[in-house]
Amino acid sequence: MVLNRKIAYIDLSEESVRVEDIPAELRRKFLGGRGLNMYLLSEHYARQLDPFSPENPLIFGAGFLSGTFGFGSRLNITSKSPESGHLGDTNMGGEFAAELVKAGFSHLFITGKSEKPVYLSIKNGALEIRSALHLKSVDTIETQKTIRSELGDGKVQVACIGLAGENLVRFSAVRTGMKNTAGRTGMGAVMGSKGLKAVAVRGTMDITVPEPERYLAYYHKTLKQLMETKWAQALGKHGTPLLFHLCNTMGFLSVRNNQATTVGERGSALEPEALERYSTGMLSCFACPVHCRQRYAITEGKYKGTRGEGPEYGSIGSLGPKLGSIDPEDIIFACELANYYGLDTMSMGSYIAWAMELYQRGIIGVELTDLSLEWGNGAAIIELIHLIAQRKGFGHVLAEGRGANKVFGEGSLDYLLEIKNFPIEMTDERLPKSFALGMATASRGACHMRSRASIDVLGLPEHVLENVYGGPVSNQFTSYAGKGRMVWWHEVMNAVCDSLGFCRFLSVFSSPRALGYEQFSEFIALATGLSITPEELKTVGERVCSLERSMLAKDGISRRDDTLPRRYFEEPVPDGPSKGQIIVREEFARMLDEYYRLHGWDKNGIPNPATLERLGISS
Amino acid sequence: MRIKVEKEKCSGCHLCEMVCSLFHLGVLNIEKSAIRIERDDLDSSLNTPVVCRQCKKMKCLSKEEVDEAAETKMFIWNESRVKACPFKALSLFEGRAYHCDLCGGDPQCTKVCTPGAIFVVSR
Repeated sequence: MVLNRKIAYIDLSEESVRVEDIPAELRRKFLGGRGLNMYLLSEHYARQLDPFSPENPLIFGAGFLSGTFGFGSRLNITSKSPESGHLGDTNMGGEFAAELVKAGFSHLFITGKSEKPVYLSIKNGALEIRSALHLKSVDTIETQKTIRSELGDGKVQVACIGLAGENLVRFSAVRTGMKNTAGRTGMGAVMGSKGLKAVAVRGTMDITVPEPERYLAYYHKTLKQLMETKWAQALGKHGTPLLFHLCNTMGFLSVRNNQATTVGERGSALEPEALERYSTGMLSCFACPVHCRQRYAITEGKYKGTRGEGPEYGSIGSLGPKLGSIDPEDIIFACELANYYGLDTMSMGSYIAWAMELYQRGIIGVELTDLSLEWGNGAAIIELIHLIAQRKGFGHVLAEGRGANKVFGEGSLDYLLEIKNFPIEMTDERLPKSFALGMATASRGACHMRSRASIDVLGLPEHVLENVYGGPVSNQFTSYAGKGRMVWWHEVMNAVCDSLGFCRFLSVFSSPRALGYEQFSEFIALATGLSITPEELKTVGERVCSLERSMLAKDGISRRDDTLPRRYFEEPVPDGPSKGQIIVREEFARMLDEYYRLHGWDKNGIPNPATLERLGISS
Repeated sequence: MRIKVEKEKCSGCHLCEMVCSLFHLGVLNIEKSAIRIERDDLDSSLNTPVVCRQCKKMKCLSKEEVDEAAETKMFIWNESRVKACPFKALSLFEGRAYHCDLCGGDPQCTKVCTPGAIFVVSR
């Protein structure tokens, strides 16, 4: 039964481990994954908490239903972020979460700091702290292979950092498998600060369920429902690059640090059809029927012999057009290098794009960079990734993320497109207004995964939208009407998905016919015996969002921080299909008002006392 | 009837293993499944589903005096048969072998294999 999966409190300074049950009341309130992680973090979150201090907890949380049927088996890693200085949280797929659950745990709460590098080894309820001295500076794949080899079990799942995390590069990632990455908000750097190289898990324990026959029958039924959606079929065939096609042709792609929003027909070089020649098949995360992950191999040219998984559209955009590059092989290799060192492709792309625009404008020059940072210079991009991970030369400057502004000089931050000290990603949100609001309000800083309503660009009939969102929403993606509601609704839904370990791609993200609260509720009942109604589940999502907001309020974050880069408000898109698009401040403010009202937050974006009381959150 | 494998289509999702253990034992445990996915997930990323081929001439039972027809309907087998199978098709976990009994004529695993890597054929 997943309900009896434990939490382990690990203090790396003391080399101590304490294992506890997770109270049923906490499960009801926060489920698991991101939700429970946030509860655990909130107990320690403070403005003065230094992300690199031993006291900053690093929390691994498998989704409540990870390891069981459902749709995905994901894990969140949560901490205070050394990249933004605020809420850090990141989510990854693959096999790790399911393995953790099979090993008897669902959450790991890691504090302290080890003087020498260590890794955690967990197997069927037992936990051991082992030396990782021999893994110092070892890349992320070799680290996983070495740990498997020394534990004598090829099925061990390892989440680890590479050189970047060890070197405290502020946007370091945690990686498991060939590609799965807990990328955002620098959780790899938090691991590095604790001297924690890896967490290795192996589990072979039964997961019991109360009604096996009904469970199996229900799974068959919902699987059919999901796989009949066009979205699931397209995603399973092309992977996320199909989204690249959408944002390039519609004009909401980040090009040259958002100085443009499309690369036009040249973008075909990065569309699914063009990437097919590298693909050697499709892969799934644990228990996912959609299989959206490409497996690739480059068989000729200067990157001959490179193989791996991906590239995903977020990485294609971030290390491609955002940097003025449309060379698929340069981009694939850059992604692979990021994986090798354990770097977040998205943040890294944003910081390099920032440097490139400063270089373009003559604000910084070759005497600082020692590299020609011309747009699309693939060789320089590759070299810079090495330098960042190794903290050498100009890479050492950029490894500090936005902190590089101390070197770049006053005014340089004007060209870093960021929200809440966290850089925007591979898209430009001046066109779809719901996307813009979602970026402005995301709890971890600029982030499309918190609430992006891809459904918005489909132009569905308004009665369909009203049915989904419970209120009027315009079906024009350039309209602001009802988009506060749309973003609020998806943010709440995504918080529930992240707490269950489900993949938001399989929920009402891009298809109104995909799975929602009703199915989630049934899956919880069939996997755990717990009865949580669809309405109660929605309340869990609201609770997680308001709790995250309460933590941000401790940092002093409020309405003035729920905003967008200056460029979005002041510079219309210069050309392409979205030419002339801009965010109108007054309209944006109205969306924000609607969004706050639905969350039960005041005009300044602070949760009302009555909201906190309703949700059972102590202020 | 048997389950045919086209390994290059396998996405490695484990759903076949999950439904196998759930259908037969009422638990989720991919180790206790008659079908298993052999993976090379840190190198080529290739996955290979392995399952009983329902051989007409059952080498796995050739050294035993048993009713073959009855044995083919059994899910849990003796460990000693693992080595006797020339295709290494039996799964082994904690001293027990797991054998594909075709779910009594209605295989569950093929129903959840969305890439079509495993499917039922008459022979």
